[in-house]
Amino acid sequence: MKIIKDKVAKLSFVALLLSMTAAMFYTPTASAHGEKSQAAFMRMRTIHWYDLNWSKDELNVNETMTVSGKFHVFAGWPETVDKPEVSFLNIGIPGPVFIRAGSWIGGQLVPRSVSLELGETYEFKVLLKARRPGDWHVHTMMNVEGGGPIIGPGKWVTINGSMGSFVNPIVTLTGDTIDLEKYAIDSIYFWSFLWYAIGLAWLLYWVKGPMFIPRALAVQAGKADTLISAGDKKIGVAFGLGTIIFVAVTMGTTNEKYPVTTPLQAGLMRGIQWLEIPESTVHVKVEDATYRVPGRAMQMTLTIHNGGDTAVRLGEFNTASVRFLDPDVLEDESGYPDDLLAEEGLTVSDNSPIAPGESRTVNVTASDAAWEVYRLADLIYDPDSRFAGLLFFFDADGNRQMSTVDAPLIPSFM
Amino acid sequence: MSASQSAVRSRAEAVQVSRTFDWMILFTLFTAVLGGYHIHYMLTGGDWDFWSDWKDRRLWVTVAPIVSITFPAAVQACLWWRYRLPVGATISVLALLLGEWINRYMNFWGWTYFPINICFPSNLVPGAIVLDVVLMLGGSMTLTAVVGGMAYGLLFYPGNWPIIAPLHVPVEYNGMMMTLADLQGYHYVRTGTPEYIRMVEKGTLRTFGKDVAPVSAFFSAFVCIIIYFLWHFFGRWFAKTDFISDDAS
Ligand SMILES: [Cu+2]
Repeated sequence: MKIIKDKVAKLSFVALLLSMTAAMFYTPTASAHGEKSQAAFMRMRTIHWYDLNWSKDELNVNETMTVSGKFHVFAGWPETVDKPEVSFLNIGIPGPVFIRAGSWIGGQLVPRSVSLELGETYEFKVLLKARRPGDWHVHTMMNVEGGGPIIGPGKWVTINGSMGSFVNPIVTLTGDTIDLEKYAIDSIYFWSFLWYAIGLAWLLYWVKGPMFIPRALAVQAGKADTLISAGDKKIGVAFGLGTIIFVAVTMGTTNEKYPVTTPLQAGLMRGIQWLEIPESTVHVKVEDATYRVPGRAMQMTLTIHNGGDTAVRLGEFNTASVRFLDPDVLEDESGYPDDLLAEEGLTVSDNSPIAPGESRTVNVTASDAAWEVYRLADLIYDPDSRFAGLLFFFDADGNRQMSTVDAPLIPSFM
Repeated sequence: MSASQSAVRSRAEAVQVSRTFDWMILFTLFTAVLGGYHIHYMLTGGDWDFWSDWKDRRLWVTVAPIVSITFPAAVQACLWWRYRLPVGATISVLALLLGEWINRYMNFWGWTYFPINICFPSNLVPGAIVLDVVLMLGGSMTLTAVVGGMAYGLLFYPGNWPIIAPLHVPVEYNGMMMTLADLQGYHYVRTGTPEYIRMVEKGTLRTFGKDVAPVSAFFSAFVCIIIYFLWHFFGRWFAKTDFISDDAS
């Protein structure tokens, strides 16, 4: 007897553990720090984020900030990633620490997925309202169907205050002002637990009498029919009919209480406006490119042709959100995240102004620890060992032109 | 323990031991079903059950009853044919919902801070009670599958309507019309659940216009009948005692 009791107790314990594990099984993805683990070619050849601005580094609960800038959809999109025909402008934060109060591409609100064109540049803005205090890394992010999340640069933002004071007032089309943070929670609990109680009542009706062993013996003895009494049947009919009637009645009263409801809204948005940027007059040809593993530097030989009417200098090489600048030409004033900014990372063998009509071949070196820290160097182990990025040229007045590069990369281990 | 030597000495003691077993078995069954059913439901129903902006008139109505009638059918098979206890469906659903509520409250709200009004579980109790009552009154698997399975599918949407209706009130947001549920999905950022994987309002039932929910519910109800049969047989097979030799008892 005792042995069996112990066994059942042990089994119950195992079952309890199993169910606890199951209950813990799922938590919505809260991490926003996948940026370094994403394959380098994904970050270099898909979406290039630039001109980014995080409007605040610190704010209180209920205050808003924006993350805005541009993204260029790279023309040399890798074959292994689905084209951004169905994409969603997301924001890389650890769960709802901010709410996304709005997001726009080319001035159009984009609560749904959009279709993007390769080779085009778009302007975007995400409006965030602070909800939960803490230090959060806020990344730009684009989800591409068949390609996964493409994470852009992240910047630390501090939220002060307490989440208890967060409010999210919304005016519905029926004219009511509600706080979406707490809206309908009482009725969700009420209906859910009322039905749970009704279910429990049905269960308890059967639990109150002898259950397993006596009933099993009766069934084995061929007396199964005696186990359901006329009284049981009456109670059963009451529960069954009661349930159906109650469902019907509460559906009716709900419809009276909420006469105006609409179906969920979904669908792909096409025709998103891209930026009309005049075609660049600076043409760049990559003669060769090597990555020196020990020096953590990429060297490229570029032939630059200036087809415009003002002299230009190379000021920035931007790849996978890491910005290599030539300090003589360009200094960052936007407060770009330090770890992604190599202020003196770009050296050009001859960076004197390239006159209109002139062609010049130069050696360009982009070096910074970021190659290692952000695992861009892993590129040399990718199946398609190519690099890609944006080059920004500036004339004496600070006018900027953008060229893209996309070429094979040869590693050098010496 | 052998048949010739009884472990109990009196009838009172036998009743007491039997009652102890009742509670132990009930507890074991409840937690074991909770674990298995929970994993099954999360893997098959998943996002449709997790998020208010997935609870639509087409796919949620169709998917949730079909994937959730499984364990109730199997547990009914065991509890009815061996014990004549018509509580298999209710016990399964109550176990599942306990697990779901713990998960939603502790993980979704407590750990990730999604408000409960976006991540509450669907209500499965009305269908489960009717399923049990039909089995008790008819005592037939076929009747339970056809009538009970049908009712299980049909009761799902109306049984959840009082919970989700407030979230289907429309709102104008920056020049677009959406429901409050859509707005919740937009506001409360899910980095791992981009908008395009949301499977709502998709399908070919366009000719039915506004009345798509009842049509989806009927479709779901028919599939529930088939799934009920299938899982009822799983339950019977699982509840077999052939692998325990008679000598041991
Ligand atoms: Cu980060």
